[in-house]
Amino acid sequence: MWLRVAHFFQTFAGLQLKTCVKNKVPLIKCQFMPPHRTLVLTSCIKNEEKKVSPDKLDLDIWKTVMKETALETPNLCPSEDPVDSFSAATRELVQMWRLAGKAVPENLTEEQLTIVQELPSKSAKKKYLKYLAIKEGKKKATKEKQKIKQEQAKYQKEKENEGGIELRNTFLLQFWQRSFDVMYNWRAAQSMMFGQPLIFDMSYESYMARREMENTISQLLECEGFNRRSLDPFHLYFCNMIPEGSYHKEFLKRYGDAWDRLLITVTEKSYVDVFPKDKLVYLTADSPSVLKSFQHDKIYIIGSVVDKSIQTGLSLANAKRLKLATARLPLDEYLKWDVGAKNLTLNQMISILLTVKDTGNWQEALKFVPKRKHEGFLPIPEQKYCNQSKSYQNKTRIDKGPIKKTRRQKSTLSQGVERSSDRKRWWLEED
Amino acid sequence: MLAQRFRSLALRLQRALGSIPACQGVPKLLPSCVALQLCTAKNLTSSEFKQSDANQRKTSKAQLETIHRADTGSSSSVFTAGAASKRAESAKSRMGVEMADASTVTKVTKTLVPLKPLNVDDWKKLKKESYNKTRFAVSMMEKLLSARADIDVAKSLLVFVTMESGTVEYELLLKYLALCVQQQHLTEVLDLYVMMKSRFKVLDIGAYSLFISGFCKTDRWREAVVFLESIKKLVTPSPRNYGDIIISALQHKEVETAWILLKEMESKNLKPTESTLQTFFDHGKSFYDDQYENKIMYILFYLRNNQIYPGEGLMHSIHSWFESIPGNQWKGHETTILQSGECPICNTLLESIQLSTEEYHMLRDCVMNDIIQGTDTFKKTTPQELQHFQTFVKNHLPFDVVIDGLNVANIAPKGNQSRILLDVVSFLANRNMRLLVLGRKHMLRGTRSWDKGHMAEIQKYADCFFTENISEDDPFLLYATIHSGNHCKFLSRDLMRDHKACLSDQNTRRLFFKWQRGHQLVLSRYNPRKRMKFEIISRYDTIVQTSHDTWHIPYDEEGVERCSYEVPRKWLCLRKHN
Repeated sequence: MWLRVAHFFQTFAGLQLKTCVKNKVPLIKCQFMPPHRTLVLTSCIKNEEKKVSPDKLDLDIWKTVMKETALETPNLCPSEDPVDSFSAATRELVQMWRLAGKAVPENLTEEQLTIVQELPSKSAKKKYLKYLAIKEGKKKATKEKQKIKQEQAKYQKEKENEGGIELRNTFLLQFWQRSFDVMYNWRAAQSMMFGQPLIFDMSYESYMARREMENTISQLLECEGFNRRSLDPFHLYFCNMIPEGSYHKEFLKRYGDAWDRLLITVTEKSYVDVFPKDKLVYLTADSPSVLKSFQHDKIYIIGSVVDKSIQTGLSLANAKRLKLATARLPLDEYLKWDVGAKNLTLNQMISILLTVKDTGNWQEALKFVPKRKHEGFLPIPEQKYCNQSKSYQNKTRIDKGPIKKTRRQKSTLSQGVERSSDRKRWWLEED
Repeated sequence: MLAQRFRSLALRLQRALGSIPACQGVPKLLPSCVALQLCTAKNLTSSEFKQSDANQRKTSKAQLETIHRADTGSSSSVFTAGAASKRAESAKSRMGVEMADASTVTKVTKTLVPLKPLNVDDWKKLKKESYNKTRFAVSMMEKLLSARADIDVAKSLLVFVTMESGTVEYELLLKYLALCVQQQHLTEVLDLYVMMKSRFKVLDIGAYSLFISGFCKTDRWREAVVFLESIKKLVTPSPRNYGDIIISALQHKEVETAWILLKEMESKNLKPTESTLQTFFDHGKSFYDDQYENKIMYILFYLRNNQIYPGEGLMHSIHSWFESIPGNQWKGHETTILQSGECPICNTLLESIQLSTEEYHMLRDCVMNDIIQGTDTFKKTTPQELQHFQTFVKNHLPFDVVIDGLNVANIAPKGNQSRILLDVVSFLANRNMRLLVLGRKHMLRGTRSWDKGHMAEIQKYADCFFTENISEDDPFLLYATIHSGNHCKFLSRDLMRDHKACLSDQNTRRLFFKWQRGHQLVLSRYNPRKRMKFEIISRYDTIVQTSHDTWHIPYDEEGVERCSYEVPRKWLCLRKHN
């Protein structure tokens, strides 16, 4: 018995000693190591020392494996035709980029391939391919969602069928989308006779790149839809529309046959030829005057352009040339602007105009301005027009000066900021 | 909300106060007469300037030169290298501590990278613990790459991957290739090439680039040209790709190949990297002949024509190349040029900043066509207004100084704007200058900041032109200045970068910038009714230049951040002794 205990103690002490050594080894090692954090795998190293020394660990074994498998893949012979080989080479490049983990689409159509080839630089190609890859990914995701939905619907139907069809007594037949469409078209037709015109100026074909044009058409589609669904729609005019121009082509691509049945007026003529000049007001963010209230006898013009390259003064120049009145939305007067350009998308514009036309309430209308662009509504905006007090001017100066300074990258020295705010402010001193 | 308003108020105050010490950055050592000389017009002399001028005459010429030398280093204008970063720094310090905090927090990255090759089981264990299991190998290889880990570790990772999946993916191979190139394991690169060639029909551009830089360090560098060809089929190769081949061609003494590639780069509008050019100078020392000298001269003129400023490393190479020429004793010195445009080492007068007559005419036309009219005259003004202005200018020519009224009036954050403008205008008018003040119509309306009396007085001193409120005034400023002739200057703090960007090609942009440096007056100090000081206009052009036995080469100092609209201060002066 005694012997046993002594033996136990001995082994215990031995264990303790061992653990002490174990703990110390990494500590000593740490002193010689570089200061950055590293994974210390003492146990692994120990194992290696026991089993295989680093020399014995065959580091090139993967090469032999790779070479063996390499023999299996057959080499395709390259095609002869030079034009064909160029597009084939581009296709192969895209594939290799995909293998290399770059964001490129899995499948390329011929049309997309020619676009890729025509792009001038490597970065342009990469950007376009990335765009296609994202598009492809989104498409796949929606398809998957649809599939799940369909299956669920099927399941639900089966369940209902089990219960048997229950007949109900109702006042109306089911109100189908078709009936809605008829109603909306009635309203649109009515607005074509008696509604207030709203003009989209389609004279910006040459200023837009392909992507911008696509975006413009998407926005116009949304505009038309929103207008049709509203209580009192505008009579939409698409002026300066060149037949067979890129606007027209893109519209046909998107609308298909419905393009000819749309209840809007499309014309090659300019708006100055259709309407009296003194009724026209060109809406542009660069305008010096503010749209204080919506007037029902004026005809507003919106330039249908998406400019991602920020071409300032594009639509203002058009208005100046024709000597039209211009106006901008009262964004600064109602909102505490935060980031982003003051030019809004076309569908936001039409939503704002429709709301302000129906209600006359700017607060309500400007809810369509994206939330990310502003920090909220200013408290009592009406007062600003009533009393042009000095305190207001000072306040805006203090509020906006430093914020703008950080965001603006103008070519002037620090004083330039003052000046540009001066440029923005002079209309306040006008009346 | 209230707190924010208070903070922004404080910021404004700080800005107002801060502008004073910033202005005093111009050293007190600088005698005002120096500043005056360089303001180009002697008429600018104020009474205090005259006084110091008298004192100056007493000092000996030698002393004067030492003062000059001390000054040229520190006197800076908006266009000297580092001015913008200095401005940004002072702005940042005024913004407060928040910015500084943000920059320090960023770099805490976890790099858990094994230091020794692991066997398959250990990798398995690591993978089990890893966060991203599907891309474990690739992300681990990326980590190895960024930690510059030992190649054996990467190899053991590959062994693990082959054991697990039976093959190695292209992406992983690519990352491994990058690791090999990074650490110059050249035999491994060659091995990889054989493997990837047999496995994949074509490679992507990234792989070709890596192979180019890998092969260029071996004896098989000629094959890199083949890779370059296959890149060319798809996209324009990068300057790095060309540079790698050129460097290795020069190292193998094949000057012609290198030269052809350099010419090709030039034709493709690619800017060679600094190290590419540097190799030409470094390798020129060993074999010197006339042909090679011609090539070097071509490169130097290339730098001149494209307004490229060498960095400090390239400068040293140029320096030692010149000194290594047998026979001729070239001597090089690093220096700064005196404000008079004279090199203090060899007393050569540098090229003037003034444009030649043809250049001037070309610039005049470009400003009219590209900046004012552009694609649409209505964007910046209206044709009627332009016509009106043109006849106005024609009837009042020539001016000595054209003033950007709105820019000058806003020079001080406090104070009445029309008062400031009047001060500046009267200061200049008292020196018998013909002035043109450009402004907008709203300045005439008589508001709190634009006093009608002041404006009337200004119109007495100077010719004035007021544009529409929605027109831009800068194009008119440029037009009036250019049409007044070479002696005319303009006064504005605006750097005119947006107008420079309107110009159609690089060459005219360079001309515009040269003209701007020679003709823009900038108010560097303004205290109401006390002092007025203009920044120095340099008399010489900052560009690589030569006379029959000298070369003067401006270069970028290390550690000085230079913006695109700034020019270097330091020069390399090379002189031939007979």
